[in-house]
Amino acid sequence: MGARHYLLAITAAVAFWPLSAGAADTIKIGFPIPLSGPTAVYGKPVLAGAEMAVQEINVNGGVLGRKLELLSRDSKASADEAVRLAREMIIKDSVDFLAGTLTSAEAPAVSTVAKENKIVFVAPTSKSTILTDEKHIHPYIFRVASNTDVEGLAGATLMARWKEVKKVATIAPDYAYGRDSIAAFIEALKKQRSDIQIVDQQWPKLGEADFTPFITAQMSTQPDAVYCSLFAGDFVTFTKSATPRGFFKAINNRMIDGAEIGTPDLAQALGPDYPYGVIGDAYDPVIWHGTEPPEHKKFIDDLKKFTNSQYGSGWSIVGYQAIYALAEGIKKAGNTKSDAVSKAMLGMSFDTPVGKRSFSEKSHETFAPEYWGVMVKDPNYPFAIMKDPELLPASFPTH
Amino acid sequence: MAASFLFSQFMGGLTTAMFLFLIASGLSLVFGIMRVINFAHGSFYMLGAYLAWQGVQWLHPTGAGFWLATLFAAVTVGLLGAVIERVFFRSLYGREELYQLLFTYALVLILGDAAKFLWGVDQLSVSTPPVLSGGIEIFGTTQPLYTLFIIAIGPAIAIAGSLVLSRTGVGRLVRAAQLDREMLDALGANVGAIYTGMFVFASFLAGLSGALVTPIQSIVPGMDVLIIVQAFIVVVIGGMGSFWGTFWGSVIYGEVLSFGILIFPGFSLFSVFALMVVILIVRPWGLFGRPL
Amino acid sequence: MTTQTTLQPAAPIGVAREGNWVRRIPWTLIVFLVFAVVPWVGSRYDTFLAEQIAIDALFAVSLNLLLGTTGLVSFGHVAYFGVGAYVCGILMKTYEVPFLLAFPAAGLGTALFALVSGYFCVRLIKLYFAMLTLAFSQIVWAVAYKWNDVTGGDQGLPEIPFPDLGWMSAIPGLGDLRTSDQFYLLALAIVAVSLAILRRLVRSPFGRVLTTIRDNPERAAFIGVNVRAYQLAAFVVAGTFAGFAGALYGIFSRGVFADYVFWSKSAEVMIMAILGGMGYFWGPPVGAAVLVWLSQKITAYTEYWPFMLGTILLVLLFALPGGIVGGLAALWTRLVRGRRRA
Repeated sequence: MGARHYLLAITAAVAFWPLSAGAADTIKIGFPIPLSGPTAVYGKPVLAGAEMAVQEINVNGGVLGRKLELLSRDSKASADEAVRLAREMIIKDSVDFLAGTLTSAEAPAVSTVAKENKIVFVAPTSKSTILTDEKHIHPYIFRVASNTDVEGLAGATLMARWKEVKKVATIAPDYAYGRDSIAAFIEALKKQRSDIQIVDQQWPKLGEADFTPFITAQMSTQPDAVYCSLFAGDFVTFTKSATPRGFFKAINNRMIDGAEIGTPDLAQALGPDYPYGVIGDAYDPVIWHGTEPPEHKKFIDDLKKFTNSQYGSGWSIVGYQAIYALAEGIKKAGNTKSDAVSKAMLGMSFDTPVGKRSFSEKSHETFAPEYWGVMVKDPNYPFAIMKDPELLPASFPTH
Repeated sequence: MAASFLFSQFMGGLTTAMFLFLIASGLSLVFGIMRVINFAHGSFYMLGAYLAWQGVQWLHPTGAGFWLATLFAAVTVGLLGAVIERVFFRSLYGREELYQLLFTYALVLILGDAAKFLWGVDQLSVSTPPVLSGGIEIFGTTQPLYTLFIIAIGPAIAIAGSLVLSRTGVGRLVRAAQLDREMLDALGANVGAIYTGMFVFASFLAGLSGALVTPIQSIVPGMDVLIIVQAFIVVVIGGMGSFWGTFWGSVIYGEVLSFGILIFPGFSLFSVFALMVVILIVRPWGLFGRPL
Repeated sequence: MTTQTTLQPAAPIGVAREGNWVRRIPWTLIVFLVFAVVPWVGSRYDTFLAEQIAIDALFAVSLNLLLGTTGLVSFGHVAYFGVGAYVCGILMKTYEVPFLLAFPAAGLGTALFALVSGYFCVRLIKLYFAMLTLAFSQIVWAVAYKWNDVTGGDQGLPEIPFPDLGWMSAIPGLGDLRTSDQFYLLALAIVAVSLAILRRLVRSPFGRVLTTIRDNPERAAFIGVNVRAYQLAAFVVAGTFAGFAGALYGIFSRGVFADYVFWSKSAEVMIMAILGGMGYFWGPPVGAAVLVWLSQKITAYTEYWPFMLGTILLVLLFALPGGIVGGLAALWTRLVRGRRRA
């Protein structure tokens, strides 16, 4: 019996052996983001964009004379893993700021950690309004991404243009982003085309392995067009099941998807199986038609070099923007205390390769528009690209 | 509700069912003979999928590539099963069932990371073999050829399996081992070889089902852990150790999920677990099983 | 009934052995004090780890009441952990119920669920028992995962509030601590009391009946023990304390999420119990401490923690079936015997 207690004491003592290294002189940014699983096809390029921004900033002398250090971790697109990592990075690694997360399951959860620990958190991709609505807003959360209201308005505008469409169906992942994006879309659509009827709504789970029952159920209601919020690996899995069943043929490819399926990242993931003819969107179409802003051209060229890829990515831009926005905030505040930085970032404008953005005073977000267009085959590229990208919505009432 | 729609949902359920049957039949076999629940069965399934992908990469996407890759995957997993059974499992037979269970769980952990190490963490996919791409119009719906193929394979294996069990010498030995292994051992039969053989065959089936699922589902880390519980449900409902039991268990599972999203969309997941609970309470050895 | 030669029985009480001086030292008190001073002596991260260990220790000990003491192999113990976490979390966050009420309510809710599920589980023999516990736990998971309105679904329930700890300022020395550290002390106290209760229970006549049932259920029935009733009682007690652990965990990790209830967590806690040694009351806490510490150390160097965990499990199964404590006890006995013979 004694041995047991003896061991318990030793174990207890050893367990408290200090495990963390001391703080260095860098400004640490904790960056949990999905690096595995279906959403990694979006998560990895977002991280790459952030890493490139950090490298650029450090090469140019850092911020307030100190270098930035990015601590990235795989959040597996799971809210509880993101929270655990965020807390660990705050408690163990003493990060100064948080950025990252991909989904609107992770971001709102990490936001609560940021709030409790009073650390500025810049979310590059989460769109659900739950992140910054009245109930959840706090001084330390900032959103670089667009939001579901903006997306819904853009999607509805495009859907409204199809005069012959009278019956619309929706399919979206059953969590905050899916629910909010569909709700916003329907509300905006009703205002523009009160004659359109929503005939079916399907809600598979995020990360669903088999979309077949949802596909067949939706097809049976014979919609004229579909608004879809499936993204990343889910969209790949969905398409592979839907195409052989004639899903796209039945609606004449009249699908609009506002979850950034217009990025080369997703187009490459699907390759020849991409459902050409659908409308997708992206923060950055990458392959630019018409006059390309020189900042964007430089950004993509640098990105291609940095990631050693032939075609760049449509997602890296938001990771890049998040870091630059944060750096701008630190500079403006003159120090790295989150209280000062958060005050500095209210209403702050910052430059991006696709134009100026600013954080609204009330909801700390940018209401960023995105580029929308039909995805077509192009002889110059082995994957689908966006035809005539259009920046939508043309205007959005920001408060 | 249109008949064509019901038919679609029904066929969708059958596809899910037949995939599950392929993997669950191996699990059920192993249980029937060795009385062991093999958690690592899902890992064999996952390895089959990854190996099929790898095979396709090596053979480059020609039509024959997929079938060869599938065979390669199934055989490799079968061999892996042989190694695991001979080297590790043997020494655990006399021990507490708990240790055998935990051993299979340790395998899940190790094999899962092995797959991560070899193939990374990205979502991988395989294209449908050209000879089976496209679909047929039945009852006003388009049924993909590939799913029809899978739906045909299920019963084929069930029939073949039960015929082997009931008509051949090997089958008789296996059934005897299911009923009374000590007696069989006393009679001089090589029970060890039967165990290994069954385990290898079950692993082969798991690897085969993993390979065959790749054109329809994406290959992701974690697919091992997700499938194994589904396989358990099916085996419990149908009855452990019974081929036809597993077959009908799979069909029930597939159709409940498929129609479940129409009747109670939020609860189809809940309902299959509830079904498992009900069977265990009312008739624990399953619909077609025999009381232990 | 196969003799369970690989399970180490709980050590007989009051047997005089060499090395009695070791037994006289109040080890549990020392360990408790070591844990208690962490907020002052260690870093914020040390407190974080200590809290994790304490809560996991309670969870693992509750499982061991079934596994080691009664011989019931439950593969769904995380269900009760999850029910406790969700009940307490939902009450405190959504309905703003104070901790003083929410915590016992979580225990009560878990106990009821354990009573209902246990009633069905204990009627089944080993293998089916394990399957049914797994099925119930997956039901809890499915409900947590899908019932967005109540459990948050994929979003989970982030931002569980801390209990009102203002009263702690009245105690000298505690007022200056961070809220999270104050909660740590509260949680530690709750865990300590729970462990004391469970230890009492295991050593009581009730506990002895349980071990009799574990070793030979037919004989137990033969001498007039209502085996089912005792197993159900153990089930309910084990479930309730798992629920307490879950409630504490929800507050500790600042949120309750569906992944907490996935079946792999049941396997994890079982590994903790066996790693420490399921034949000893203090085995599971040792296992919890070692596992938490190891996972922290190893994940700092490699992402392949599951592989390492699997290997550790293999070593346990083939080389060290009595767990760490079992192995050390055997070592100690051999040393002592050796000295005596000399």
